[in-house]
Amino acid sequence: MKKNKNIIIIILAVALSFLLPSFVKNYYWIGIFNLVLIYSILCLSLNLIFGFTNLLSVGHAAFYGIGAYTTAILLTRYHFAFFPALILSGVIAVFFGLFLGISTSRVRGDYFTVISIVFGEIFRLIMQNWISFSGGAVGIVGIPAPQIFSWRIISEKDFYFLGLILFWFTYITLSLLVKSKLGRAFIAIREDELAASTMGIHTIMYKILSFSIGCFYAGLAGSYYAVYNTAIAPSSFTLDESCLMIIMVVLGGIGNLTATISGVVVMLFATEVFRPLYHYRLLLIGLIMVIVLVRYPYGILGIFNKMKSIRKKYNYRKV
Amino acid sequence: MFTEIFVVGLSLGAIYALIAIGYSMVYGILKLMNFAHGDIYAFGSFICYTLLTKYNLNPILSIIIAMIVGGILASMVERLAYRPLRGPEYRNISMISALGVAYIIQNTSENFWSRQVHFFPSIISNPFVSIFGIQIPTTQYLTLGIVIIVVVTLNLFLKYHKIGKGILCASQDIPASSLMGIPINKTISIVYLLGGTIGVIGGILYASSYNALSISMGFSGTIVAFEASVFGGIGSINGALVGGLILGLLHSIVGFYVSTAYRDVITFAILIIILLVRPKGILGRYVEEKV
Repeated sequence: MKKNKNIIIIILAVALSFLLPSFVKNYYWIGIFNLVLIYSILCLSLNLIFGFTNLLSVGHAAFYGIGAYTTAILLTRYHFAFFPALILSGVIAVFFGLFLGISTSRVRGDYFTVISIVFGEIFRLIMQNWISFSGGAVGIVGIPAPQIFSWRIISEKDFYFLGLILFWFTYITLSLLVKSKLGRAFIAIREDELAASTMGIHTIMYKILSFSIGCFYAGLAGSYYAVYNTAIAPSSFTLDESCLMIIMVVLGGIGNLTATISGVVVMLFATEVFRPLYHYRLLLIGLIMVIVLVRYPYGILGIFNKMKSIRKKYNYRKV
Repeated sequence: MFTEIFVVGLSLGAIYALIAIGYSMVYGILKLMNFAHGDIYAFGSFICYTLLTKYNLNPILSIIIAMIVGGILASMVERLAYRPLRGPEYRNISMISALGVAYIIQNTSENFWSRQVHFFPSIISNPFVSIFGIQIPTTQYLTLGIVIIVVVTLNLFLKYHKIGKGILCASQDIPASSLMGIPINKTISIVYLLGGTIGVIGGILYASSYNALSISMGFSGTIVAFEASVFGGIGSINGALVGGLILGLLHSIVGFYVSTAYRDVITFAILIIILLVRPKGILGRYVEEKV
């Protein structure tokens, strides 16, 4: 019964989201929705890595960037069609995710975070300095409009639909994944890595899996961003961007996919609403973050999260 | 030429070490990556800058005031943003609240002092002196001296003073040391105070030896502190010193001999290799996980 209800809710949400452009005619708002979609894809995948497997990766922007650069280079230099470029972007992001995941598999906790930060910085610096490959600080411009079969995606509204397809693909596959055996293994690792390993869960393998699956979606989001923005530069894939994603995930509520979207929406709308107060924007955003987190450590929607009761069992000794 | 670069790298590393010490101490006690650390020391350095240029205060006095401001700011941040989120289940969350604090401080100092690079006056006259035939500005030697004094004092303080011993205990085990009668909240506040104060010294030394000060120094300072403490083994003061010196040497040697564009890439790559070979850093020790 409950399962049926969930399916109905999701179908309704999908239908509503596709009908949204017929209510909102303003292209400014549709542009913001597109941003929400990009960040939702990124944060959902980051939530899989961070919220479900407890790998704090602060280098997610690098995988986003890898996807974006792959698509940009394939479309401008090799004249690929968009769809294969999209898939390849995801695959190459997975490739780098596997590389990072396997090489760091013996490194624990915070050191993983350090390496992910450093990886992100290395990516950005290489893209900034390897001018013949990536165009340096200017980046790659003039990425052609994508075409899927006969659907030529040019207007803001078309991009909204494309982003929406990617977003629902991400959301539905991830929520199925989280409920599967794989997802349960991830959650076990999050709750207690040592206990999980004694229960026969191959923690290293599952951590690598979780990380590279997350990277796949980041690559897709990057690919979408490249064609949507028609130009990419290393300044879009900085450490700040990775931090922003982490903030959105935590603000929404870690370990809850639906809540993540609320975090994205709050952060992006806060940036838009505070735009007139340009000089104090970061100050206000910082205040919101601190106040919300101090008051509700499990995020805006995370208040209703079941995780709270599970986490209470932790005693203070365990560090 | 190499000796000059070596000494310059050493004094740069000494500054990095000062910035890293506070960061590493906080990590050692709370296992918290303090993302606001860099912005706090940048704020303190800007206070010093204003006192020096606008009010023409005595340099020593303005440095002391800046240190006090940095320390108080750091412990205030701890009180408001980190203390409510203390405890292992909130570890990752308190890191994000630290990021929020970083935004707040950054934005506040941006509104006071704007984003441009400011000219920071040299605190002492800065002639080139030649020792053993090496031509180096005086500040570089001064920096090394200050770092040695700070590290030695800090080590003595931790070893012999009552509060210092309390800090060491708390970094071993917070609940146990609170059972032994160590005032945990006060101890942690003092750690932040010390970290902020020492960081401000580092910031002022950096600004006065390069005659430049900007807001972006804050965030890059956090990264530097981060790298240096990880190099040496995060959580220990001597580790931060060693890591800072290594990082400074790497920056100056790679920057001079290889390329400035790829300087950070190369140091980051070396950092990753060190972490993969010695996951706890150069001076870090393994602590078995308790079940």
